[in-house]
Amino acid sequence: MLRLEGVNVHYGATRVLWDVAMEVGAGEIVAIMGPNGSGKSTVLKAAMGLKKPSSGVVSLDNEELQNKSATLRPKRGMSIVLERRRLFPRMSVEENVMLGAYTRKPSEARETFRWVLDLLPEIKPHLNATAGKLSGGQQQMVAIARGLMANPRVLLMDEPFLGLSPAMVKTVCSIMQMINERGVAILFNEQNAKLSFSMSHRGYLLESGRVVLSGSGEEMLDHPEVRRVYLGIRETAA
Amino acid sequence: MSATQFIELIINGLITGSIYALVGSGIALVYGTTRVLNFAHGELMMLAGYGVLLFAVTLGWPVLLAALATILIVMLLGAVIQRVTIAPLLKREDWAFNVVAATIGLSIFLQSAAQLIWGEQFQGVPYFFNGVAVIGEVRMPWQRIAIFLVALGVMGLCALVLYRTRLGRIIRATAQDAEAALAVGIPSGLVHTAVFAISAALAGTGAILLSPLVTVSPWMGASYLLKGFAVVILGGLGSFGGAVAAGFLLGLIESFSVAFVSTEWSNVVAFLFLIAVIWARPEGLFAGRGA
Repeated sequence: MLRLEGVNVHYGATRVLWDVAMEVGAGEIVAIMGPNGSGKSTVLKAAMGLKKPSSGVVSLDNEELQNKSATLRPKRGMSIVLERRRLFPRMSVEENVMLGAYTRKPSEARETFRWVLDLLPEIKPHLNATAGKLSGGQQQMVAIARGLMANPRVLLMDEPFLGLSPAMVKTVCSIMQMINERGVAILFNEQNAKLSFSMSHRGYLLESGRVVLSGSGEEMLDHPEVRRVYLGIRETAA
Repeated sequence: MSATQFIELIINGLITGSIYALVGSGIALVYGTTRVLNFAHGELMMLAGYGVLLFAVTLGWPVLLAALATILIVMLLGAVIQRVTIAPLLKREDWAFNVVAATIGLSIFLQSAAQLIWGEQFQGVPYFFNGVAVIGEVRMPWQRIAIFLVALGVMGLCALVLYRTRLGRIIRATAQDAEAALAVGIPSGLVHTAVFAISAALAGTGAILLSPLVTVSPWMGASYLLKGFAVVILGGLGSFGGAVAAGFLLGLIESFSVAFVSTEWSNVVAFLFLIAVIWARPEGLFAGRGA
């Protein structure tokens, strides 16, 4: 489905991604885990077309997209929930959500809007509120709703739990599971190894712009390096 | 001061302010959406001045047709300027200074080109509306009343487009977060071009309304550009509504300073007010109410 092969990205003269290869299959939840500055967000931006790779291939269902505009992605079934929500702060919640369906026909958008409100009933009472005035958790719901309005087959989520309370993290986790159960593949990034890999089918560990480890969620959680460095578990000799 | 004089001062202030509001709101719209300060905005006014001179005076077209043709041409020019000189620079990491330099260069180029083509003389455009309206003891030329009404109508239309149409929603979304807009599929590059065209239309409308009152020359737009920037800063950088309100405020301040100080000092008073606002409220009087 979504595939990145040998993707390199530069910011000016600085190379931030080194031959990154990743894959998201239909209906999968895939996590990208890594420390601050490891390039997790850049991977998602390169996949979404918001940052043009200097080389490499980004493809969706074998259609190469790396040289095509970001505006094409929603039409092809890909959307993104950006880091820190990035809502249009002075617009209403309803306007924000409806803009997620910018590339779709109005009749299709209205149908998806009803589906999204059923999935995320928490936003219903706030439809006329100014988006920038909502709490962080409510804004995340709106951002997810906006992402779903494109009716994506793959939803990218950049640090979906950033700045949320533990209770809200649980809520967003269960929303992600619900979205996935409806057949939408999810590629998300997160710094917390336990959270990332316990809820994902597969995962990648990114360090200094390079994929250093990959495997199923369970394999990643059991890997000695992940346990030692990211979970703080010291292996004791038998 | 009599009540009549007081009313006349207010009306004169609102009329001058409507031109400042037209020019300033165009600059604010571009800045609010693209973060570009267009130093060639005044030259778009100047070109519109020559446009109306050509169509309405030289060719003798009806005023409305001449105005529409001029606005269309200036809109096209605004779009071309954005695509050719600004859009390529916006792709660079260090675009902010480059864009300022490019628009200043363009402003000098357009002024010099106008001098070469039309010469350095000041050319007059006859009044579009003759006669004087008399309400009680207040007398006001219809031309000046028309300036106020047309400016108000055009800015109202702009506000309607911004807040009640799909195009307006797209422009506001791009202004508030261009990357998030791009992520939902909005072609932000095209939106930037459209905004430049709308801004040019506002500048063109201002120039057409002004042309019978001030002569048309290669330097016609320069002083209005300065006032436009003042209005944008007063209103809060990038705020369309703020620029409109600040335009009227600046017009009123000038009008009253002409009466109470002198014509020569009116600009000084207006800019002293601007400095005081920047000192007390650096974000502008109406900040946070952007496009």
